[in-house]
Amino acid sequence: MKKTSIQVSAALLLGFALIGGACGGRDDSSSSESTETTASDSTEAAFIDPAADCTDYKGTQGVTGDTIKIGTVRPESGSYAIYDNVTKGLEAYFKSANAAGGLPAADGKKYQVELIKKNDEYDPAKTPALVKQLVEEDGVFALVGNIGTETNKSVRDYLNENCVPNIALATGSTQWGDANAYPWYISGLPSYATEANAWISYLEEVNPTAKIALLYQDDDFGQSYKAAIEKAIEGTKITLVGEEGFNPLAGSTTEASVAKLSQSGADTFIVGVGGTACPLTLSFVPTTWTPMTMISVTCASKTALALAGGKDQGVYMAQPTLDPADPADQTNPKVVEFATQGAAAGLDEAQIQGGIASVGWGFGSMFAMGLENATTVDRAAVMNALYSLQDTTFGLLRDEVTVNTDGAKDPWAVEGFRIVQRENGAWVEKAPVTNEEGKSNSFAGQ
Amino acid sequence: MSATVTTGASSRRSPSDWALKVAPWVLLFVILAIVPFQFPSFRVEQICFWMTLAIAACGLNLLTGYNGQISVGHGALFGIGAYTTGILITEFGVPLFGATVASAVVCFAAGILIGLPALRIKGLYLALVTLAVATLFPLFLEQFSAITGGSGGLQITSPQLYRGEMRERPIRLESPVAGLENDQWKYFVFLGITVVIFILSRNLIKSRVGRSLVAVRDNEVAAESSGIPVSQVKIVTFGLSAAIAGIGGSLFALDQGQLYPSSFTIVLSIYILVAVVVGGAASIIGPAIGAVFYGLFSDVIVQQMPDRIQPARAVILGVLLILLMLLAPGGIVGGFRTLQAKWSARRSSAHNSGPSVTGPSATGPEATA
Amino acid sequence: MRDFLQILLVGIGDGAVYAMLGLGLVVIYRSTGLLNFAQGEMAMFSTFIVWTMWSLGLPMWLAVLGGMAGGFCVGALVHQVAVRPVGDPHEKPLAVVIVTIGLFLGLNGAAQLIWGTLDRSMPPLFGRGQVTVFGVAVAWQKIGAVIVLGVMVLLFYLLFQHTKLGLAMRAVASNSESASLVGIPVPRLLMLGWGLAAAVGTVAGVFIAPNLGLGTNLMQLTLIFGFAAITLGGFDSLVGAVVGGFVVGALSSVMPRYITIFEKMPLAPAFILILAVLLFRPEGLFGKKQVTRV
Repeated sequence: MKKTSIQVSAALLLGFALIGGACGGRDDSSSSESTETTASDSTEAAFIDPAADCTDYKGTQGVTGDTIKIGTVRPESGSYAIYDNVTKGLEAYFKSANAAGGLPAADGKKYQVELIKKNDEYDPAKTPALVKQLVEEDGVFALVGNIGTETNKSVRDYLNENCVPNIALATGSTQWGDANAYPWYISGLPSYATEANAWISYLEEVNPTAKIALLYQDDDFGQSYKAAIEKAIEGTKITLVGEEGFNPLAGSTTEASVAKLSQSGADTFIVGVGGTACPLTLSFVPTTWTPMTMISVTCASKTALALAGGKDQGVYMAQPTLDPADPADQTNPKVVEFATQGAAAGLDEAQIQGGIASVGWGFGSMFAMGLENATTVDRAAVMNALYSLQDTTFGLLRDEVTVNTDGAKDPWAVEGFRIVQRENGAWVEKAPVTNEEGKSNSFAGQ
Repeated sequence: MSATVTTGASSRRSPSDWALKVAPWVLLFVILAIVPFQFPSFRVEQICFWMTLAIAACGLNLLTGYNGQISVGHGALFGIGAYTTGILITEFGVPLFGATVASAVVCFAAGILIGLPALRIKGLYLALVTLAVATLFPLFLEQFSAITGGSGGLQITSPQLYRGEMRERPIRLESPVAGLENDQWKYFVFLGITVVIFILSRNLIKSRVGRSLVAVRDNEVAAESSGIPVSQVKIVTFGLSAAIAGIGGSLFALDQGQLYPSSFTIVLSIYILVAVVVGGAASIIGPAIGAVFYGLFSDVIVQQMPDRIQPARAVILGVLLILLMLLAPGGIVGGFRTLQAKWSARRSSAHNSGPSVTGPSATGPEATA
Repeated sequence: MRDFLQILLVGIGDGAVYAMLGLGLVVIYRSTGLLNFAQGEMAMFSTFIVWTMWSLGLPMWLAVLGGMAGGFCVGALVHQVAVRPVGDPHEKPLAVVIVTIGLFLGLNGAAQLIWGTLDRSMPPLFGRGQVTVFGVAVAWQKIGAVIVLGVMVLLFYLLFQHTKLGLAMRAVASNSESASLVGIPVPRLLMLGWGLAAAVGTVAGVFIAPNLGLGTNLMQLTLIFGFAAITLGGFDSLVGAVVGGFVVGALSSVMPRYITIFEKMPLAPAFILILAVLLFRPEGLFGKKQVTRV
């Protein structure tokens, strides 16, 4: 009785499976108007050629009529929720552009942007399901301003295989420099290696025998910094005298690590952590230890530093952007435009001055730039445009920072920094902007 | 041995009786078969995850439902299975499902290892120890991050040709059947494995060994004195339960292609327990029902709610657990059986012929699935 | 040596917090006979109440008292609604475990619903200053934790040894059947015990939150430390909870620093402790040896 019932069941199951396969159609809710397979740029060899590189390429998925659907994933909750402000800036940019008629494209039309947001709590275990939902269920054209290094890494293979653009990643991990293997990713931040190099270059100038204590986030974010620092100090008299790794998802604080580093005899403290752990780290520095402290660009916003309990005074950073909270930058036309349009789009005073939303605003601007320069409204075309930028700018980058990209040879859009020091809530320039065009990958040892 | 009077009951099995018994299964088969063709691939992969949960719940049910040893740490065993598979594939090039077998063996050993002290630590205290294991597990992964990848995660890769070069790329279950896409193939493979595991555990439960599990649960001293080697039974059950959870974890690894410690926190152990309890502890199909319920609730229903209200999921599940313990400890299967018993009692009293018989106890552990 | 002393003192400060949690766990164990796996979540929930009051403008100390009161209500409510109806933990251990796990989930989710999932910052009760003790810098907050623990222990002592209420609670803990026969309102006192445990847990949360950030996962690790404390000290011993707390705190701070295999697993020494005690001396240091009747 048991055996036959199992056999019957198996037969039934197989039978229904075959029937289901024959009759059933997958609910492909993504609306593709046509399957583009021609290369976007016919005059020169484009960086991406979907005919050669992609199977089942859906070049115009997410484009319907005059609307483009964009997806973004960020931590709306948890200890990295401070980065949700980036998404708020991104959203404000699109709202503002929509209100002005839409984003211009090569076909002469203006496109409204519909932004779909998902929350992955900075947890790379959650990101894949959300991104797949955005691509397969919501049918987005591209992802813009995705937050987190590990989170973006967890979907890198999926997005590249499916030829879905991931534009203006909110992370400068050195992995994004591998545009040969992963051409559908382009970062909106400078490479952490270039940033680290800027720190070390400045150190070489002002303290050639510096002794560094390094606190780094124990994932790709922090390890990018660590590797770049180690490479940059090779051949100099600067030494690394202490290093501590920190796990952001372990529920502990950096207090013990800071205490340990304070005993290392270092005169320089590099804080390679992000989220709220960064300003908290500053607050843990004992009064007996007064190193030259350098913080990551992801930490250096008014909102983040407000959590440092006053211990942000005197810290250094490598700064590529204008800071809306810095009186010296507030008269810059880019900042004025951001402040007025951002307010009109719903950002409040704290968000405008906070220094985080402005980064997201810049990501929206980067996407707009890609759309505008693309030869057609098509995924590969937009990516190719972003990989062939020449002497341009976007968002709130400092005026002296140049933006150039060239396919896999120079996949980084932003490679310029100036060194500044924090003084009473504003920044004082210590070294002017240096643009390391095309060198980001070499700083990372790639 | 349940000696029930079944005069006339089996000989009077009407076609409608038979149809009623078989119909739900037929319906189930139909649904299971057409699902992967109706939903986008990420949903199908989600359902594959539910299946791995069902397998883990089956393992936990064996230990806690049938054998009475409380474990709030099966998430850790699931995780050991997942990481064993991931590491074997990535570092040692072990073939995909061969790694599953290895995971089962490793977890069996782990289960025995935990089962030994569990001989002396019982009830609430065993729950405490397993709770501590589950809480410690993600930290353990951090500690040995050289092997496990730590919080950066473990990418399960194998060398594949991509863009002109052999690269380490995430594993994929390639469909050998034209007409079945990769995720659909994966679905049917997982389904097959899940069904086999459930059938095997059913056979175990119904055998003499299965009865000894229950005997030990109900009264250890009595079981000992009636000749059952209690310690052996308890340890082996722990091992088996862990091995099954490990298989679930291994399939999870194959499904996801990447592993992160944050997937294996105490919350996972709790959700496996939820699946067992909601489905119906000490019932064979309960864990599967519980896993599907959890999956539907978590991944489908809750996702429709606005982001702000999503934490209500935990509240609802928590309240559900408490309510179940107070009102319906048998979970869904238990509730169903109670209804069934009431209905058949009403039917037999309506028929009213001969000695009124009630069938085999509808809520006892020996009942059929 | 200075290094070691610093680590040890940090551990003792942490240990005071584990002891606080342990006191609550012991009260619940003695009165209702079960291990409350939701103790951490109860504490987290009431710490959020503290934060709410503080962010509304109340001075910190008043907010703490308010949070303790709120926590008391939560604990009492939880006992009435979820714990009491389930029954005797010795007869139905699985049901009790499931209920406490359900409470764990439910309280966690409720906190996220009410206060959202953004981590809050809460100022330390004793400020961020440090003082030099034996040549090492110790945070005032850690010293404060020990002092507050001391006050708590004193209050407990006064309650249990010198008040009628305390006497009644001890009677209930010792033999609830006889106590009810003598006219003691047992259910009400059990409720009181749970409320008290939750209130005590609140203080633990208040000491942990400033460093970790007040999030809903505040207590997930600390709970195990608390359990380790009472396992070592003896599940039914208040003194044991205090001693156990300090030992666990010291071990968990020192061992990960000097034994590399524990570096990223501060919980490991506590876990090993739990296992060892349960295997070899289940009654802990100060607990009463249980005689199980066959």
